[in-house]
Amino acid sequence: MISRLFQIPEGFIVNLGALLNALPGAVAQGLIWGIMSIGVYITYKVLDLADLTVDGSMATGGAVCVMLMLNGCNVWLALLCAVIAGMLAGLLTGIFHTQFGIPPILAGILTQLSLYSLNLAIMDFKANQGINVTKYQLIVSQRNVRTFDLSNPIVITLLFLAVLIGILYWFFGTETGCSLRATGANEAMSRAQGINTKKTKILGLMISNGIVALSSAMLAHYQGFVDVNMGRGAIVIGLAAVIISEVLFGKLFRNFALKLLAVAIGAVLYFIVIQIVLWLGLNTNLLKLLSALIVAVFLGIPFWKANLTGKHPHKGGQPHA
Amino acid sequence: MKKVLSVLVAMVLTLCLCSFASAEGAAYHVGICQLVQHVALDAATQGFQDALKEKLGDAIVFDLQNASGDTNTCSTIMNNFVSNGVNLIMANATPALQAAVASTGDIPILGTSVTDYATALDISDWTGATGINVSGTSDLAPLDQQAAMLHELFPDATKIGLLYCSAEPNSKYQVDVIRGYLEDMGCTCTEYTFADSNDVASVAQNACDGSEVIYIPTDNTAASCTEAIRNVVEPAKIPVIAGEEGLCKGCGVATLSISYYDLGYATGEMAYEVLTGGADVASMAIRFAPNVTKEYNKELCDLLGVVIPEGYTAIE
Repeated sequence: MISRLFQIPEGFIVNLGALLNALPGAVAQGLIWGIMSIGVYITYKVLDLADLTVDGSMATGGAVCVMLMLNGCNVWLALLCAVIAGMLAGLLTGIFHTQFGIPPILAGILTQLSLYSLNLAIMDFKANQGINVTKYQLIVSQRNVRTFDLSNPIVITLLFLAVLIGILYWFFGTETGCSLRATGANEAMSRAQGINTKKTKILGLMISNGIVALSSAMLAHYQGFVDVNMGRGAIVIGLAAVIISEVLFGKLFRNFALKLLAVAIGAVLYFIVIQIVLWLGLNTNLLKLLSALIVAVFLGIPFWKANLTGKHPHKGGQPHA
Repeated sequence: MKKVLSVLVAMVLTLCLCSFASAEGAAYHVGICQLVQHVALDAATQGFQDALKEKLGDAIVFDLQNASGDTNTCSTIMNNFVSNGVNLIMANATPALQAAVASTGDIPILGTSVTDYATALDISDWTGATGINVSGTSDLAPLDQQAAMLHELFPDATKIGLLYCSAEPNSKYQVDVIRGYLEDMGCTCTEYTFADSNDVASVAQNACDGSEVIYIPTDNTAASCTEAIRNVVEPAKIPVIAGEEGLCKGCGVATLSISYYDLGYATGEMAYEVLTGGADVASMAIRFAPNVTKEYNKELCDLLGVVIPEGYTAIE
C-alpha cells in the first residue's frame, strides 16, 4: 500500500525546476480565486454571515458571461452582466433570510440549490460550454501564464484586484459601508442606532456574490469553459483562503485594504499547496486529503507556536473589520 | 543568521539551474489526465497505456493524474503537464480536454471518452478534424442502432424514459439524437434528469412510474451509481437499455457495447503516430470505436422475463 501511495512517475526527476515552472499557473489560479475569497470575506468577516450561495454563484457568473459572449456580446458588457447576475443571486439569499426568516446558512443553501437549475437554464440546458480562446477576446487565458507581457493573467488579475480593493476600501468608508460593518459587528446595537439591518444584510450579500460572479467569469475565461459544477466546493476554498490570511497576516496587516490583499494571498498559498502535492508525485486519488492535511498543518503552526512560547492568541474581542 | 540564509537561498537557486540543465534521456513523456475514477474511463486509460507500451517499450514515460471529478483540478493538472514540458497530453473526458486546450496551443492533445468534439471545443464548420492541436477518439456509439435494438427487444413499448445526469453535456447530446430516432419509430419519449448521485434514486423512481422502457446514455454519473438505479428498476420491473457495458452490467438489460479499452488502444495508436511518425494532430480525423457488440445481462433478463433473440453475447 505504501508503494501505491508513492507512485512517483518512473523517469521524471523530481526537480525543483519543474515546481518553479508550475508556480505561475498556481499563482494565476490563486489570484482569480482570491477575488472570490474577497467576496467570501465580506460576508464571513464583515457581515458575520455564513453564506453558502457561493457554490452556486461561482458558476452563475461564468455561465452568464460565456453565454453572452457566444452570442456576440462585448466582453466587458458580458462581465458587467455577470456581476449583476451574481448580485441578483445575493439578493435572492437576502430575501430568503430577511423576508422569509430563514437562517442564513439555510438561505444560502436554498439559493445554491435553485442556482443549479438556473445556471443550467442560462447555459441552454447544456451542462458544459466551451469558449474558444482563439475565437473570442478572452480577458485571461491559461495559455499566457508564462509570457512576460500585459496578457499574462497574473498581471491582469492583479490589476482587477487593485481596482476591486480600491473600490471596496472607499465603499466601506462611506456611511452605507459603515452601517454594513456595524451590522456585522453588533446587529442589535445597529438596529438600536436606527440602521435598517435587513437592508444592509441584503446589500452585503449582493456585493459579495457580485464579486464572486466576477471571479467566476474570469475563471471561465481562464479555463476556457464553464461547467455547471464549477462552483462545487468553492466555499471551502474561499473560507480556507480567508482563514489562512487571518492566521498568517492577522497581526501584520491592520489596514482594511491590506487585509483584503492578504485574503488574495491566502488563496494563492492554497493553490501553491495543491501544486506542491501534485509535484510530489503522490497518488492523485489522495489529492484532496493531502491538500486538506497540509492546510491543516499550515493553520496549526501559529497555534502550536503560541502553546510552546506560552503566549496565547488573545481570546474574546476578535477585532471586527 | 542572515548570511547563512542568503547562502542557503543561493545554493537552492543554483540547484534549480542545474536541474533545468539536466538531461532527461530519449524517452517520450506523456501526461494523462482522467476526469474521474470509473470503470469505462479506467479501461480507456489502460488501453492507451498498453498500446504505447507495446509500441515504444521503455522509451515512454507516463504521468497519470486523476482529477477526482473536480473540473478545477483539471486546470491545475494541465498546468503541471505544460510546466513539465510533456511531449503529448491525453485528456480522458470532456472537461479534461477543455482544460488542456485552454492551457496550451502547442503541445499535441489527444482526447478520449469525449462524445462530440465540435460542441466540447466550440468549433463551427466541423470537418472531422479540429484544425487545432487536438485530435482523439470519440465514444459515440451508433445511436440509430441502439434505437433499433430497443425496438427489437421491446416492439410493443411506446413510452420511453430517457434518464441522464443534467451536468453531463455528452448525455444530453446523445439523448437529443436518440430521441429523434425513437420518435420516428412511433414512441413517445420523456426526459428524466438528475443533478448528481444524490437524487438519482428519486428521479429513477419517477422514470419507472412514467415509462415502459428506460434508456440511459454513456453517462459518467449514472455509471458510477448503477446499484442505486438497479435498486429502483428491478422491483419496478422496468427494463433499462444502457449506453455502455459497465452500465449494463450494473443495472441494464442490454447494450450496444463499445469497448473503452479498444477506444483507449486506438488513441494510443494515434499517439504513436504523433510522437514518432510526425503526424499532424490538427488534421488527424477523430476516430470512433472500432467495433460494436450487442450484449445482454443474463441475470437481469431472467429476472424481468426479457427474451433475448439471436446475435447477442452475454456479459460475464
